[in-house]
Amino acid sequence: MKKKLLAVLLTAAMVMGLAACGSGSSGSNSAPAADSGSKTEEAGSGNAASSDDPWADVDTSEHVVISYMTTGDAPTQTKERYEEMMAQLNEKLTEKVNAELEIYFIPWTDYLSNYNLTLARMDGTVDLVGTASDWLDAWPNAKNGAFLELSEEMLQKYAPKTWASVPAENWDLCKYNGDIYLMPEDNYAQWTNHGFAYRLDWAKEAGLNDGVKSWEDMTTYFHYIREAYPDIIPWDSDATQYGQMSGGWISSHSDYVSIDGINAGAMWGGKRSDLYTVYCPYMTDTDSLVEYAKMMKEWDEMGVWRTDVLNNTSSTNRDDFRVGKVAAEQHHTQTWTDLCSPQRPSNTIFQDDDDAEVGFFYFGEETGNVTALSITHGAMAVSAGSAHPERALMVYDLIRNDPELYMLFNYGIQGVSWDVNDEGMKITPEGYNADTDNIAGTVNFWWGRNDDLEIKDATLNWDAIDKLYAEYDKIKIEYPYGQFVPDVTEIDAYISNINEIFENYMKQISYGKYNGTAEEIVAEFQSALEAAGVNEVTAELQRQFDELYK
Amino acid sequence: MKKRKSELTFFQKVVRSRTLLLMCLPAVIFFFAFNYMPLPGIWVAFVRYNYRKGIFGSDFIGLDNFKFLMTSGKLLELTRNTVLYNLVFILLGNFLAVFVAILLNEMRSKYFKKVSQTIMFLPYFISQVLVGILVFNLLNYDTGFVNGILTSLGLERWQPYADPKVWPVILVIVYLWQQTGYNSVVYFAAIMGIDGEIIEAAKVDGANGFQKIRYIILPSLKGTIVILLLFALGGIVKGNFGLFYNVVGSNPMLYSTTDIIETYVYRATVVDFNFSRASAVGLYQSVIGFIIVMTVNYIVKKIEPDYSLF
Repeated sequence: MKKKLLAVLLTAAMVMGLAACGSGSSGSNSAPAADSGSKTEEAGSGNAASSDDPWADVDTSEHVVISYMTTGDAPTQTKERYEEMMAQLNEKLTEKVNAELEIYFIPWTDYLSNYNLTLARMDGTVDLVGTASDWLDAWPNAKNGAFLELSEEMLQKYAPKTWASVPAENWDLCKYNGDIYLMPEDNYAQWTNHGFAYRLDWAKEAGLNDGVKSWEDMTTYFHYIREAYPDIIPWDSDATQYGQMSGGWISSHSDYVSIDGINAGAMWGGKRSDLYTVYCPYMTDTDSLVEYAKMMKEWDEMGVWRTDVLNNTSSTNRDDFRVGKVAAEQHHTQTWTDLCSPQRPSNTIFQDDDDAEVGFFYFGEETGNVTALSITHGAMAVSAGSAHPERALMVYDLIRNDPELYMLFNYGIQGVSWDVNDEGMKITPEGYNADTDNIAGTVNFWWGRNDDLEIKDATLNWDAIDKLYAEYDKIKIEYPYGQFVPDVTEIDAYISNINEIFENYMKQISYGKYNGTAEEIVAEFQSALEAAGVNEVTAELQRQFDELYK
Repeated sequence: MKKRKSELTFFQKVVRSRTLLLMCLPAVIFFFAFNYMPLPGIWVAFVRYNYRKGIFGSDFIGLDNFKFLMTSGKLLELTRNTVLYNLVFILLGNFLAVFVAILLNEMRSKYFKKVSQTIMFLPYFISQVLVGILVFNLLNYDTGFVNGILTSLGLERWQPYADPKVWPVILVIVYLWQQTGYNSVVYFAAIMGIDGEIIEAAKVDGANGFQKIRYIILPSLKGTIVILLLFALGGIVKGNFGLFYNVVGSNPMLYSTTDIIETYVYRATVVDFNFSRASAVGLYQSVIGFIIVMTVNYIVKKIEPDYSLF
């Protein structure tokens, strides 16, 4: 009998062990990281440099390596230039603060899982963490304890220039429960609202003399491409853009303003006319959604994308756009600024065709519904598992504010990877080869770019860009929900299921791959959302809104 | 007095079988390190996990993490898909493996035997990601191999990526193609272990090839088959994520027949990254698996006590 019992228990343990394996390993370190700061502060001595050195009394006698985590792929072809740059940078960092910087790349494939998993390790693998409240789970990670609270004293002491350059009201937007967790990239002008980049010259051929101004124009454009250029796939999408498209449609057909950082579909928000009443447009704007579903079915049947778009994982649409193999690219304004510039060597469409022009149809253009970026669209945090948070802050302060280090880090070595022309604009030096020398996009320092130090890029098409930016500035509103950090503990079980339903149905709707009529699929989608608790989520968010804004 | 004697025998037993015990040691260490030590980690399924507080310091929230599975309203469908697919994989897989093992055994030409065994074994080493790409390149609508043949024959194109009905068949074929060579090795070895004299004797008695298989080889394999089935059944609620995720991808048109617990959980939690909830799902699968193993073992024991696991 005893044997039998033992056998039962052993079997149970074996089967359970498999379950625990998946998660157990990740949780065991409860690193007491927050208090490791005191050590270096006490020691007053150290290698003090000049008298105006703000860190004169900081002990930097121990040489440390600061690891900075960013999304992005490690360089391959440009590896040599990258390593030269890092060597120079580290030489200077060693001289200034006796530290070295190392980049911990999170490759784009499944970046969010890998990003969060690395943070959860909490073993000092990373010190500085590039993060974002809207696309990189900054707040959930702050709540999970992954980020270190940055006290004002700490920031003043170890990141003095950053502390001084960020206004108090912006620091307020980086707080959760009264503590600062993020250092925002708040001095960098950029637009990351989405839309379609398209061939303006082809649109004109199609009779759209002012270019594409609406979704209907987009349909006309795609129709024309199918007829006039049958060899071209209008848009070789890989089916990951379903949420951007449906969100874009809603912006273009209402005055919806979404709240960042609740879920990937940005499914909740207010209206421009009534900012603080929360609603979910996917539940209320039924007629508009049906119209959307119909139009996407039309696009699908027309052959805008490949027939098996939902299983297409090998698309290289953006590069294809540069060489004229496709006719549209769905992404944000920042990407378009690159695509529309004839001076960029990789954009061969301009060399092949003198008439080539690249226009941008931004979502919300019909209704003038454009919201500026939240300042925490890019921000730097310090990992709670970091063994050297002070030195990490010092390194960040330098690469964000020191002109020499900033340019070295972001552009590469001057004279090799970039240079300045007589007008003070950034150009490519002689003998420059973009494939092996261009490391401007490598370090992905999207968490501390600084317009005071940025050099305008001479290869960009500033005429077109400035024109669009001016247009945006006229119609934009500032992101209204900066102070709102949603507390989802009570509703995140609903949100998980809603995410799944959103992806499931929106993929079918946005790519016109549904059976039955548009009305039926939208109704099915809405009833699934309702069953999953969408109204409970809306009500809870409204309650939190009322607490904050009333 | 009696106690001392039994102590002595235990010690004697240890000494006598020291070689065997030593040989067991790696397995014991392995299971202890990877299956027993993480056991307390199951606790993470019942807390709101905070990285800094650790598993046991986080707030206890009872069964809240299981709520998401229940409220999805899909638990039954997902469990059904998972179990049915696995059932087919296990039954067909073992049947085919036995079949192939017997065929291999009957082959006369040594070289042909080796070559065919190797070729069948190879797919097992191909990663699931590549298998997914392979299947896509065979079946896709615009440039797929199958459709290339169909159009050149003047037939209409086939669009499997929009038709959920064909996927159970495709997935089973892919699974069998990948696993049969590997699975048959165990059975082949068992056949090799059958006492040659029995077969010799049967031949003298005038048994033909089929009779030899029916009355000697199959009955000798029965024990192996039952044990392998019992082992496989323990994992019947655990889906083959690699296969389903890579071959089906995230194509919602096919979910009705291809969605298993793993793929659903992946989609629902990959965005908000919740350890506790993922563990809750793991625990749910383990408990169900445990119940199934115990039940089946009980039934086997009733019928044929020799073949039960314990």
